[in-house]
Amino acid sequence: MDALAKPAYLTHEEHAPSQPKLLVHPSAKTGLMSWLTTVDHKRIGFLYGFFALFFFLVGGFEALLIRTQLMVPNNDLLTAQQYNTLFTMHGTTMIFLGVMPLSAAFFNFIMPLQIGARDVAFPRLNAFSLWTFVAGAIILNIGWFLPSATHGAPDGGWFGYAPLTSKQFIPKHSIDYWVMGLQLLGVASIAASLNFIVTIINMRAPGMTMMRLPVFVWMTLVTSFLIVLSFPFITIALVEVMMDRQFGTFFFEVSGGGMPVLWQHLFWVFGHPEVYILILPAMGIVSEILPTFSRKPLYGYPIVVFSGACIGFLGFAVWSHHMFTTGMGTVATAAFSLATMAIAVPTGVKIFNWIGTLWNGHLQMRTPMMFALGFVWMFMIGGFSGVMHSAAPADAQQQDSYFVIAHFHYVLIGGSLFGLLAGIHYWFPLMFARQVSEFWGKVSFWVIFVGFNVTFFPMHFLGLNGMPRRTFTYDPNLGWNVPNMIATIGSYILGVGIVIYFVTIIYTFIKGKRAARDAWDGRTLEWSLPNPPPEYNFRVIPTVHARDAWWYEKHHREEIEKERALHAKEEEAHGGIHMPFASIWPFVASCGLLIGAIAVSALDSNPAPGIHLKLGLALTGAIIMFIGIYFWSLEGNEGYHLHLDENGNPIEDSHAKH
Amino acid sequence: MLTFLPTLARWSRAVAALAGLSLLAGCDLNFWRMDGHQSTMVVEGPVARDQLYVFYVTCWVTLVIFIIVGGVLAYATVKFRARSEADEHAEPPPQGHGNPLVELGLIGGSVLALVFIAIPTLRAIWTTHDVPEAEKANAYEINATGYQWWFRFEYPSEQATVDANIKMPLVTGNELVIPAGRPVRINLRTVDVIHSLWVPKLAGKVDMIPNRANFLWLKADKPGYFWGQCAEYCGDSHAVMRFRVVALGPREFNDWLDQQLQPARNVAPVPANANRPRAQFTALRSFKTNEAGITAKFDVNPLESWKEKQAPEKDEDAALVAQGKTLFSSKACITCHSVRGHVGAGIAGPDLTHVGSRSTIAAGLIENNREQLRRWIRNPGSVKPGNKMAKGYVDNKIVISTEEEVALAAYLESLK
Repeated sequence: MDALAKPAYLTHEEHAPSQPKLLVHPSAKTGLMSWLTTVDHKRIGFLYGFFALFFFLVGGFEALLIRTQLMVPNNDLLTAQQYNTLFTMHGTTMIFLGVMPLSAAFFNFIMPLQIGARDVAFPRLNAFSLWTFVAGAIILNIGWFLPSATHGAPDGGWFGYAPLTSKQFIPKHSIDYWVMGLQLLGVASIAASLNFIVTIINMRAPGMTMMRLPVFVWMTLVTSFLIVLSFPFITIALVEVMMDRQFGTFFFEVSGGGMPVLWQHLFWVFGHPEVYILILPAMGIVSEILPTFSRKPLYGYPIVVFSGACIGFLGFAVWSHHMFTTGMGTVATAAFSLATMAIAVPTGVKIFNWIGTLWNGHLQMRTPMMFALGFVWMFMIGGFSGVMHSAAPADAQQQDSYFVIAHFHYVLIGGSLFGLLAGIHYWFPLMFARQVSEFWGKVSFWVIFVGFNVTFFPMHFLGLNGMPRRTFTYDPNLGWNVPNMIATIGSYILGVGIVIYFVTIIYTFIKGKRAARDAWDGRTLEWSLPNPPPEYNFRVIPTVHARDAWWYEKHHREEIEKERALHAKEEEAHGGIHMPFASIWPFVASCGLLIGAIAVSALDSNPAPGIHLKLGLALTGAIIMFIGIYFWSLEGNEGYHLHLDENGNPIEDSHAKH
Repeated sequence: MLTFLPTLARWSRAVAALAGLSLLAGCDLNFWRMDGHQSTMVVEGPVARDQLYVFYVTCWVTLVIFIIVGGVLAYATVKFRARSEADEHAEPPPQGHGNPLVELGLIGGSVLALVFIAIPTLRAIWTTHDVPEAEKANAYEINATGYQWWFRFEYPSEQATVDANIKMPLVTGNELVIPAGRPVRINLRTVDVIHSLWVPKLAGKVDMIPNRANFLWLKADKPGYFWGQCAEYCGDSHAVMRFRVVALGPREFNDWLDQQLQPARNVAPVPANANRPRAQFTALRSFKTNEAGITAKFDVNPLESWKEKQAPEKDEDAALVAQGKTLFSSKACITCHSVRGHVGAGIAGPDLTHVGSRSTIAAGLIENNREQLRRWIRNPGSVKPGNKMAKGYVDNKIVISTEEEVALAAYLESLK
């Protein structure tokens, strides 16, 4: 092993070449600067979660306003314009600023821990993804604070069907915010996904073969591939809308021969995989929780993994089932109908295997388990109404009715959100070293569960009784009054449940009781860590011998201890634990993007000085971004080494080139 | 605390069950019967019936699967639950990884269930797509065009009289009158954004997309009056872009056509010395934003109510109508509206030649009566936010006094 040890001249006392002042590495460990410059995947994950939960509450508030407007027929609480803005922003916020970043929070925080890595492959790119996501969120929401006659928040629907989004029909800037906001979020998502893919492929601990990956990691991988492959479609489509609006091109402009239906194809080639981007992470979380609380391995691991990948593939083959009413003709309709039905098979397989996991287990009914079981039930209902949509003739009646709203809220709240809420409870002891009160956890679960069903179950009836979606008012003679009233009451109950949930979480975060290490008797590697996990994650990179790596370790302690001591020595000989430097440049690059995007979306080209202002600010943004990227690349891939004492505390920071 | 938890769970379940029961018993049965005017469950034509049949197939198949899978899930949750602290810390159960045969069996079962759904689905995709071959010769053709936010209906096979020398296809707006018992093929076009034509009781929706020659077909089993609505988000007033469909028997349909093909009706002037009282008009009450413009009386027998609208109003005031006719040009209504035979050939708004015979105005939104006509003329923007009539004359500062508003309403009402 001595041959591998670094020569002395590299580890210590060499004179590092003097660097320009701009390239001094930020070293703050606390305070604002430490957060802006952090490259630690756990801190970035925490920030993702923080912003996601904030926007989740914003989106929820929007939903409550929508439900209040629809509580009684002919209500005039909101104007048509306000209502349309609210449903557009509710959808956009929940999908892009709520569920996706909350999933990203778990990818960031948990995935590297589960594969036994010390960070993601590109820590600074990770920070760039985070700050670009924040920039996109700002652009999307900036319209709320500007005059609604000329700006306003986006109001073309989250799907932004052309040609309604053209300048002829919505001349104000609201659509420009939507276009640029989604573009930035796309950049953030693609960068983050590439990072996760490289991390999972390259940075697994020794012995962590692909078929030993925790299912959550597998779902991270599949989701990341879906994002990388599907976002380019929306990026192209948004560029085309932007060109139509800003430069007078004719991609979707009917007057110039544009094809509005092309938008729908591009949007849904992205939009359908997006649905799986929202649900697969939650499926991954549930596939972690059910085994842990059943105290046995996941039933049929290979087939759960395979069906997840299969859903990912098929997800690209069914986009036109969102377009059954666009007159595609019989053959195309039949083909997409059958492909959509086919997706029910791998989805059903997952449910069978979750039940198989419970079978013969010792089920511990803790809060995460409650949410996970709630997920299975609600997702089943959402899945079945999905099968109903797959039958195109039935869908001709259901499309754009409240039946569809009921369906996708069962998969997105009952599915994705229950999964993510379960995940928060499940990993809370690990992330924050505090144990959430079981009592309040379960109270919040039951209130959310009841409120959710009271809100959305009546919507099936509303849809079958002919109530179209995206309508700000309805007449009292159509038989829709009672279910609407029930749904609104349900939404308030759901709101109360969410408040209980968050108050519980925040209280626990501040003064909850300390959690024991490995709080749930977990099965995967993250539970081998002290809570909260130290900056460097693993004192010694573990060697993996079995699928549920930590469970195996716990049952083969002696063997593992020996192995670990040996590895510790080797690593120390290599120069200690290598850590990446913190950096401000990803943040600077994202700020440049933000400024440029504001220039493009918020400023008019006319009257006279407009175009100069707009170009000037856009170029300023671009220059700031390039400065950020330039200095970021000048930093190189340096880092420093940590040496630990007996208790795992760093004893010295020696700045050494890697 | 922990011992209290199962009790709490049991309690909340009981409360949920009770709430469900009281809902069933207490509230409007309408909710569960789903037989509203726009119901997809109580259908009156073969297309909607085929679609409903497919829905029932999917519904029953998935319900059976739900009961089986849900039953197993519920059983597993109850049966394998740790019942005590000691139970939780007992020796972990056998660490089994699954059984490939079980998996394959379940996959096979799922595929089989899907075949059950796929066969009627495929059949109905073809039957609902276009008029069946056997009935093609008998099919009636109509062109429907979507506008922000109303529908224009054109009858290409009917030549309406404009004046002695000119004829053009019959055009109506927002109320589609069709022959009952005959297949109707509707060509779907739009002049602006995407709309979608949906008459739930007769057929599922098909979109009106620019640069795309879509169509749908439907048939009403028997004469009737149906509610329809735009089903694709199309901007500010999407929610109030509605329409009605009236299906008539063969004789009545021909009578209706005969009347519609005529140019606009002229009201005979009343001799100056005739001692007829002028129509009294009261001040228009104020309307709340989004206030419903419908009466319960209409819904009792909507088809009869519609038929009543075909005859001239009994208390017609000829002088007022004549005044309204003049105002119709002087207040620039003619810029956007056509009244065949009178002045006015605008095409941006609905054709008003026989507007008095329609049961609704403002795209199926409010009933066609004096009060609602005045409400619409006075402030179209408050009835239908963002619509072109508000932009057309309100924003152009064309002022209409209360008396003028009454006269215009009287004129429109006379156009039977």
